[in-house]
Amino acid sequence: MSKQKLSEMTTIAEILETAVGFERAAEAFYTALIPKVSKNVRYLVEELAEEEAEHVRIFSELAENPDVHAHMADAITRPHADRKFSDAVHTPELGDNPDDQAVLQYALMREHIAMEEYTELAANTEPGPLHDAFQFLANEERKHKAELEAIYYQIVHSGGV
Amino acid sequence: MSFKDVLSPFTAWKHVLETPVTIKDPLTREAADRYRGFHKNDIELCIGCSSCEAICQNAAIDMVPVKDPKEGDSGLRPQIDYGRCCWCALCVDICMTGSLTMSNEYIWFDEDPDAFRFIPGVDAKSWDSSEKGYRREGGRRLSGTERVEMREMEPDLRIGNFDEIVAGYDRAEAVLEADRCVECGLCVATCPAHMDIPDYIKTIREGDYEHGLELLYNSNPFSEVCGRVCTHNCETACAARHEGDPIAIRWLKRHITDQVPYDRYVDIVGKPDLAKTGQKIAIIGAGPGGLTAAFDLARMGHAVTVYEEKEKPGGMMRYGIPEYRLPYESLDRDIGVIEAMGVKIKCGVRIGKDISMEKLKADNDAVVLAIGLHLGRSTRVPGSESPDVEKAVELLRRITAGEEVPVPKKVVVIGGGNVAMDIARSMARLQKQRHGEVGITVTALESFDHFLADEEEVVESREEGIEILDSRGPQEVITVKSGKNKGKVKGLRTWRVDSIFDEKGRFNPHYDEGDEMVHDGEMVIEAIGQVSDVSLLGEKLTEALEWNRGRVKIDHDGRTSEPWLWAAGDCVKGPDVINAVADGHRVAQSINQVLVAMREAKA
Repeated sequence: MSKQKLSEMTTIAEILETAVGFERAAEAFYTALIPKVSKNVRYLVEELAEEEAEHVRIFSELAENPDVHAHMADAITRPHADRKFSDAVHTPELGDNPDDQAVLQYALMREHIAMEEYTELAANTEPGPLHDAFQFLANEERKHKAELEAIYYQIVHSGGV
Repeated sequence: MSFKDVLSPFTAWKHVLETPVTIKDPLTREAADRYRGFHKNDIELCIGCSSCEAICQNAAIDMVPVKDPKEGDSGLRPQIDYGRCCWCALCVDICMTGSLTMSNEYIWFDEDPDAFRFIPGVDAKSWDSSEKGYRREGGRRLSGTERVEMREMEPDLRIGNFDEIVAGYDRAEAVLEADRCVECGLCVATCPAHMDIPDYIKTIREGDYEHGLELLYNSNPFSEVCGRVCTHNCETACAARHEGDPIAIRWLKRHITDQVPYDRYVDIVGKPDLAKTGQKIAIIGAGPGGLTAAFDLARMGHAVTVYEEKEKPGGMMRYGIPEYRLPYESLDRDIGVIEAMGVKIKCGVRIGKDISMEKLKADNDAVVLAIGLHLGRSTRVPGSESPDVEKAVELLRRITAGEEVPVPKKVVVIGGGNVAMDIARSMARLQKQRHGEVGITVTALESFDHFLADEEEVVESREEGIEILDSRGPQEVITVKSGKNKGKVKGLRTWRVDSIFDEKGRFNPHYDEGDEMVHDGEMVIEAIGQVSDVSLLGEKLTEALEWNRGRVKIDHDGRTSEPWLWAAGDCVKGPDVINAVADGHRVAQSINQVLVAMREAKA
């Protein structure tokens, strides 16, 4: 993700198209990772790739939607809170055959970084359509991160009964 | 006949001018406030325990299905036949929840005689909202409400050793406790192995312990073990819990095993006199799931060999549960019964290394994967790679195996489940032996409201001097940065967890970064979760198998996508002894059906 590139955007459509590019890159990354991981972990990487593909679809449709600003303004009135991580997550080296926890930690960190950068871009943008676009994207990343957190707890923290 | 006899009928005429005591219009006369009239039932409070049906001396009550059963509720409700009822109200007095009451209404006209058989609370009646009538006041009296307390070793006596804490009931205590059971059987449905609980409790009252033991081992070859460490979900469904303590089912089970001399076990459990089938089954893992399957399959006439990687059989029951909760001799007694059925257990054999999965498949008619959850998860927070950071399951294994383990004066445990309590209490005992004092801090992500460990574990841990802090999220294992102790652990840094679940109950931790704590410790033990070591399957079989969110996918009977391979126990269902036992039964039945079909196909 390039904060510099995004900060130079002048329209919502441009911002969304750039964000689509980031999501596409993430989808490609996870898709490439699928055959590298053991089959018992593969479902996780497949789900991550599918979720990124879903983001590509949502952002692409929004970019083409003439009512895009109204839609985003509505979405950001319901912000998701940032909840941090269950364990102090730091981006792991994924290596050739990462396990489920490493994949999840990587994905969590990726969502976290994206969320922080969109939030910062929003903070540095005057109120208006562009500000709302960044807020919207930050909120989307927060939502995704929260979903990953729930999966992380289920996989890593369950079983310690 | 006397003269008086002739006159006396006329003396009745002296009452002719008195005010009559009979009622001119009995149809509008209200009964006394506490009159025992027609029945009412609070359908939501009723649990369908059938105590009313059992106590009715006129067989006027039948339990009939009115809703889907769920845990602790049979879904049955009493149907009352007023052709038989004598309004004695014993049904109301015995009611375990107080749901069954009687209105003071006593007049009911109907041309249809069948109408007088009805389901109170379901079939709407005019007296349903009546406030007056008869109800059991002041709690249950016909069955005791308080559990007979279990005697335990005092904290200062137990902390310096691994001796069993729980003493077990003596006969008088056990009979008192057994007497509280109303034999409703709600517990049977809840027990994963569907143990015959009311009947074995009845044998305690009758003093017929050998029959009790027979009933136990009919459904659970780990009855000694489960009499000590079962998660006893049965007690959460117990009818007695509604207005008192649930029956101590787990302790009563243990009492039966305590009363029967071990040399009688095999005779009582019995070994079916069946012809050998000549069919072979290999089981990987000698834990509760694998050994239960082995027990059943051997009793069906099959040749069963169990392969165990560790030095002794038992799996997590031996290498995960500390001896103060489950003495090894109790476990060995159960395993001895299983071996007496003809099961061969080969220890120290690692499948995938010493014997390949391909060979097991080739040499056997069926294979069962029952490998448990023996790998500990790590938080992987910064510093967790230090050699002073241990995983609880590995440390518990080393303690059981009698290996030397480091015992520093200060230890921090991460985790809030029973494994965390097990390792904390084990290390506390070792600290007491070595240093004369306990220095353990347990930090759990969950708040006490959502704690994973059993309440009694938390209580006993505290009694033993262990500090338990809830709602603490690990951020970093702090290590010495320079000098000769560089890399050594100094403690754990945590943040306060404000909330852990969102409004939908999904994990969604929220931290207060301003509330930071550093817990001193020369060792940090991670006890957050476990995972199966599936590496023994090899790449080819791992690819061939279907998986379900990280676990081997199985059908209802425990069969995997490979027709020769079944899976059971913790590795597919999560950690729990009694669930693993139930799983073992399930796969044994499934395998036997397949093997019978194979024999018939060959014949």
